Amino acid sequence: MSENMNLPKSHYHDEIVKTCLQFSVAWALLAMGVGVYIAAQLVWPQLNFDTPWLTFGRLRPVHTNGVVFGFGVSALMATGFYSVQRTSMVPLFAPRLAKFVVYGWQTILVLGALSLLAGWTSSKEYAELEWPFDIAILVVWVSFGVVFFGTIAKRRIKPIYVSNWFYGGFIIVIGMLHIFNNLAVPISIDKSYSLFAGAPDAILQWWYGHNAVGFLLTGGFLGMNYYFLPKMSGQPLWSYRLSIIAFWAFTYSYIWAGPHHLHYTSIPEWVQGTAMVMSVILLAPSWATMINSVMTVSGAWEKLRSDPALKFVVLALAFYGLATFEGSMMALRSVNVVSHFTDWTVGHVHSGALGWNAMVTYGAFYYMVPKLAGRPLYSVRLANVHFYLALSGTMLYIMSMWAAGVSQGLLWLSVDQVGELRYAFVDIMASMTSYYGLRFLAGFIFLSGTSLMAYNLYKTMGARKAIEARPPQVDPAYQV
Amino acid sequence: MTKNPIVFSFRSFFHPFATFQSLAGTELSPRAVFFSYALWLLLLPPLFSWLGAYASGWHLGAKEPLVLTPKSLTIVSIGYFLLLMFGFVSTAIISRWMAGTYGASRSLGLHFALVAIVGTPLALASVAHLFPHVFFNVLVLIPTMIWSMYLLYRGLPIILQTPPERGMLMASSLVAWLLVAAVSLLGISMALWTAGVGPFLGV
Repeated sequence: MSENMNLPKSHYHDEIVKTCLQFSVAWALLAMGVGVYIAAQLVWPQLNFDTPWLTFGRLRPVHTNGVVFGFGVSALMATGFYSVQRTSMVPLFAPRLAKFVVYGWQTILVLGALSLLAGWTSSKEYAELEWPFDIAILVVWVSFGVVFFGTIAKRRIKPIYVSNWFYGGFIIVIGMLHIFNNLAVPISIDKSYSLFAGAPDAILQWWYGHNAVGFLLTGGFLGMNYYFLPKMSGQPLWSYRLSIIAFWAFTYSYIWAGPHHLHYTSIPEWVQGTAMVMSVILLAPSWATMINSVMTVSGAWEKLRSDPALKFVVLALAFYGLATFEGSMMALRSVNVVSHFTDWTVGHVHSGALGWNAMVTYGAFYYMVPKLAGRPLYSVRLANVHFYLALSGTMLYIMSMWAAGVSQGLLWLSVDQVGELRYAFVDIMASMTSYYGLRFLAGFIFLSGTSLMAYNLYKTMGARKAIEARPPQVDPAYQV
Repeated sequence: MTKNPIVFSFRSFFHPFATFQSLAGTELSPRAVFFSYALWLLLLPPLFSWLGAYASGWHLGAKEPLVLTPKSLTIVSIGYFLLLMFGFVSTAIISRWMAGTYGASRSLGLHFALVAIVGTPLALASVAHLFPHVFFNVLVLIPTMIWSMYLLYRGLPIILQTPPERGMLMASSLVAWLLVAAVSLLGISMALWTAGVGPFLGV
């Protein structure tokens, strides 16, 4: 009887986790679909049908916002709510507020996408939504933080597991970046002007832009990795101490790296130099996590026979290694002078976004959905087909963009003996069509895999309610 | 393993899995694999690229090809060869280093052979460099690379005698290293161009 006394009376709030996961899959299909469509427009420009809201300029932010904030953040909310309950061994704090967070976030995303199609834009990359949305985002984001940290505050187990450090860092830093980068003077409902001007505005924008990559697409997803990888592999982390060191080193060094997006611009050279050095230092914590994860999974090879989810995470780690190394290298001024503005940058982003973010999320979803549904995955075979589609789509994408980027870099900068540019920009642009065709094909292959996953997860979960799981007994040695 | 590189390359190209099987559990000298086989394969890509670029310049997509002087071409080709050699040897050594974690054979000669056999299709497909249109090379080399990756995933557990699942993990770790090596090649090339080696850039 005494054992049962320290068990909470209510079960985990997984229904909201399930809903959020479904929203995430829907955004993956929609936003990746838009990505494939605009990739096709770069091959066949007539696909915009001379309709303003179908033009590349309006659809591109719908793609990026839809993938990062629709698919990515919804996945982080779903996995964050799922894992914080289990690592704190209590149901969610303020479950109604959690519902508000999930539905509020989806409302912002849908209306925000419509506003982008209508041509409303602040013109700041990855922060295009205008001021009414920025205020709404702040309200939802603070509520997200209250639910997350409230759950940790009422935990029944003393240690705060490392995944929560990463999720927590993601919530705090993204909130901070969002506030400062969106400080603006509104002049009408659909237009505002940044409070900052010129070079300071650019520095602030890329402090935001790069750390959105850092703390959302890297930090948040590392939280996902640190929770799901040991769960899937049934092994404790290879080195818990290394994971904590990696967290603090990552947090400290990432925040400085943003100005490497502004090499050779009018910002001070020492700011560019600092960003370059910190970008290189950043490789250490990034790879510490990769090695820690690879070593954790290396003892769990037998699980690969039955578990398709683990394959995705293993591959995600390989692409995480690539993308973090590539990023540090592209931050070097002597490389950046050639690579900047080329399609290599687009390829780099997608080696991270497809290879790391999407793959680790797919792994987490293939793990979570059968648990939430209380029955095995509908088809392991389909998941395996998805794996090969995702791998080949990603490889084809990044290789076509490598070739396109290197060609562009060379052609743009080639000069003759008297120092005149040798090639006309328009000729170089026209010569990229074949690479863009390959990229379109790559995106289509990747999207096909995602569609198979959506079908597989739908057949697994259907209209079922999430299983009611209860928190377990806490070891007295670790009890709060 | 036969001493004749041509015979061995044909065998490993047309019957890779039989080759993996026949080498499994044997003791090979890394030096023999390198000098009697790998070295000749590694010479092919720089040689083909030198010949192709000398004859018609680099066709990067724009109308006019980018023509380099024979001296610049030779420097670029020697650099290409040295980087390929470094990539080959370092991949084999890293593979051996990883083998301990994945319960695979630690005989260095077998790791040299693994990298050589997996790399054979790529080295042979570099004949595409004779026609130095970048997009044509991309079209030839991407499917070849996919075939090489398939050989790595399927062949590694056979030649290094480890269960397929552990082999999959080790192959993925090697792929991570190879991707990093490939992207380093791009970065190093760009840094060298910026420093004035190779094509004449206005930077």
